[in-house]
This record gives sequence, structure tokens and C-alpha cells, in this order.
Amino acid sequence: MNPELGQDLSLLHLIINASLPVQGVMAILLFASMMSWWYIFIKMFALKRALKVTDSFEKEFWGGGDINVMYKRVAAERENAGEMERIFEAGFREFMKLRQQTGLSLNVIIDGTRRAMRATYQRELDGLESHLAFLATVGSVSPYVGLFGTVWGIMLAFQGLATVAQATLAQVAPGIAEALIATAMGLFAAIPAVVGYNRYTHDIDRLANRMESFMEEFSNILQRQTTKAA
Amino acid sequence: MNSPLDAPHISRPGSSLAAGAMALGVHVLFLLLLVFGVSWQTRHPAPVMVDIWDALPPLPPPRPHPQPEIVPPEPVKLPVPKTEPAPIVKELPLKAPDIALEKKKADAEHMQKREAQHEAEQKARAEAARVEAEAARKAHEKQLAEQKKRELLRQMEEEDLVRRMADETAANEARQARLAEARAAAGKRQAEVARIVGQHRDLISAKVRSNTRLPDNLPGNIEVRFLVKLLPTGEVVSVRLTRSSGNAAYDAAVERAIEKSSPLPLPTERDARAEFVPELSFVHRPKE
Repeated sequence: MNPELGQDLSLLHLIINASLPVQGVMAILLFASMMSWWYIFIKMFALKRALKVTDSFEKEFWGGGDINVMYKRVAAERENAGEMERIFEAGFREFMKLRQQTGLSLNVIIDGTRRAMRATYQRELDGLESHLAFLATVGSVSPYVGLFGTVWGIMLAFQGLATVAQATLAQVAPGIAEALIATAMGLFAAIPAVVGYNRYTHDIDRLANRMESFMEEFSNILQRQTTKAA
Repeated sequence: MNSPLDAPHISRPGSSLAAGAMALGVHVLFLLLLVFGVSWQTRHPAPVMVDIWDALPPLPPPRPHPQPEIVPPEPVKLPVPKTEPAPIVKELPLKAPDIALEKKKADAEHMQKREAQHEAEQKARAEAARVEAEAARKAHEKQLAEQKKRELLRQMEEEDLVRRMADETAANEARQARLAEARAAAGKRQAEVARIVGQHRDLISAKVRSNTRLPDNLPGNIEVRFLVKLLPTGEVVSVRLTRSSGNAAYDAAVERAIEKSSPLPLPTERDARAEFVPELSFVHRPKE
């Protein structure tokens, strides 16, 4: 970086002429930004689909359909089923197995069913929440990484200034501009990550609430049916 | 009893190609926004410094025409007139004819022949006289011619000398005139330089004045002197206080103003610039 006057301050010029640590920081931030955006889009698609499938399953379930028919359909397409469908399937399968065994009390059957549903619920929630930790990390750390690059770049710029007799703004301006690009990149990576993280945790929370409610309600239904049959 | 049907389904987060493409798209969009949305000073013209001048700028000083080299007046080589060695007038040897001798001889021999001899003698004498006269005349003529020639030569030489002298005086006069002209030109140039120097002093003063933030309650029109070291480009290298005004705040304000005014407007003329570079004594008063 030569501090001559009338320098071209175009973006590429600044990035190419940046010092090595600053370039490294920029590369890290670019990677983090790419990854976080990728996960943001993956999560966006996944949550959209989860909401859609959950909506249609609830509609079907509360629409008065036959539980046995539904179970058979879900068990057949287990891989492509929604989260709530899999909870339903796991619970109902456990319920059927326990019912076939004689001599078990109603409480035991219902407790077993609930445990099975809760295990599946935990697993599904874990799947839904995957990558969110990365978004949170990028959102909270990348501004600091960018700031580090900026501080480093400005340090170098001022070190270069120490050797000249007449200090002018033109001698530090390119260094500072280049350093500030690191901060800009850090913020560019962080802002969408934070927004995505907050939004997706909220969506997942709501979905989890719905699933827990469903578990309770399904347990109630099974209990009612068993007492009726007995 | 575990059957494969009982194995829980673990939903693995799928890596979506579409999501990757969209992430890439977002970055390209952001890059484009940065490159084209933010003007990276590439289109801004260079800052222009404007001096407000009271008077019209001086006409570019006449190209200093090469000073007529004052050659030490070359002594005009007066070719020493080759005064021909005065021709030695050849005196015609006016030899006395050997008449006497012959006469003696003739006397000794024959007296009889005296008559005839006498006659012959006379004749010879006449002849000799004639010859002599002739010779004399010729000599005289020759001498005359010689003299005339010499006269002519001398005259020519004289004329030559006069002409030469005239030439020399003319040359001298021309040289004098040239010298006078050169002196006049130098004087004019000096005046021009002085004018430019004065103008730039005013310009520098005005620029510094425009950058001066005067402190409050100054005691009258106090004067401060600085010695300003300048680069040929007009940039201020150092400012040294040579005579304080007595008011430290005012001194500091003027010093700051001088530093702020760098580069100072210097004349382009070399001679005029010599008045400012490398050192300039700067006097400042709050009011003109």
C-alpha cells in the first residue's frame, strides 16, 4: 500500500491491497457469511415445509378421520412424513404394542405411549433446531472478527504513518477504508444470522408448543378410547 | 424385542442445493450493491483550491530573453597599417662623365686633333649634358612618380584608418546601446519581479488571514513575526516565531493559520520565488 495521493479507492483495489491479516479476516467472514446464508435458506425451506405438513396433519387428525388408517399411511411414508406425523406414529405404535400385551394397567399403557412420543418429539426438535447454533455463533462473533480486522488494519495504517515526516489524511485513508471493509463484512454476516436465528427459534418454539399440545391431546384420546373399550 | 420398524427416524438436515444457490445470489447482490451503489471516490474530481484575488493576475512575465552576454569589448584589431618601407629613392648616380680623363689623354697625344677633338668634345659634352639633363629629368620624373605614388598610398591608408575608426566608434556605440538596453531590461525585470513578489506577499497574507481565527480582545493592532521555512512547492516545513506580539494566544493562532495555509501561493517566476524559498519572513497584524 503506497500512500500516494489521488489513490483509486475502488472496492476490489482495497481488498487486494489489504494487509494479510485483514485479508484473512475478510476470507473468514466471507465464508461465515456464505455458510450462514446457506443455513438460513435451508432452515427457511425446512420450516416452511414443517409448518405446511403440520397444518395439513392437524386438519386431517381433527377432521375426524380414522386413526388406524392414518397410522398405516404415515407408517408407509415414514421418511417423508412431517414431525407431528412421526410423533403420532411413534405414539400409536407403542400404544398398539402395549395394548396387545395382557395384564397391563391403563396408566402403564398411556405412560409408555407418552414416553415414546416424547422421545420422538425430542429427536424431531433436535432436527429442527440443527444449524441454529451456527447462526447464533455467526451472529454474535462475526462483528468482533470484523472489528479485529479493522483494528489490525488501522494499526498498520498508523504504523506506516509513523515513518513519514508530514502526516496527511491521504496516507491513512486507504488503510482505514480497507480496514473498515472488514467491519462491514462482519456486520453483513452477523445481521442476517441474528435475524434468522431469532425468527427461526421463534418459529420452532411455536411448532414445539403445537407438538406438545398434540401429544397431550393424543394421550387423552387414547386414554378415553381405552377406558371406553374396557 | 427391537425390530427395525421400531428404530426411530432421525431427520438429518438436508443440504439443499437451491439454498446454496440462493446464498450465493445474496452475496453477489451485496457485492454489486457495494461496487455500484457506493461511489468509491473514483468519480470525484480532485479537490480544487480556489484563491480569491482582488486584482487580475499578472501577465506572465516576459520570457527572460537571454541576457546579452556582455563580452569584454574586444579590442578591434587595427591591422597595423603596413607602412611600406619608404622606397629609397634611388639617386641616380650623376656620374661626372669621364670627360676630363679623356681630355688629358687627348691632350697628351695630339694637340692637332684638339680642334676636332674640341669639337667632338663639345659635342660629347653637349651630348653628355643632354644625357645628363635627360637623366636628371628622368630621375626627377621618377621621383615625382614615386612621390605621387607614396602620396596616394598614404592617402589610401589614411582613408582606411578613418574608415576603420568610424567603424570602431560605430561598434562602440552599438555596444553601449546594447548595454544600456540590457540595463534597462534588467531594471524592468527587477521591477516586474518586485511587483510579483509584492503581489504574492499579499496573496500569502490574504490566505493566512482567511485561515486565522483571531482570539478575542486583542490589544490593538499588534504585530507578530515568523520565519517560515518553505519547500519550493509552497508547503510549509516549519514555522518559527522570531518576534512575539506579546499575546501568546494571538501568536499561536497565527502560527496555526500559517500551517493551515500550506501550501502557500508562490510565484512561478524563479527569481520572484527566490524571495520566498527557502525562508520567508512573515509579518502579521490583526488588521491591515
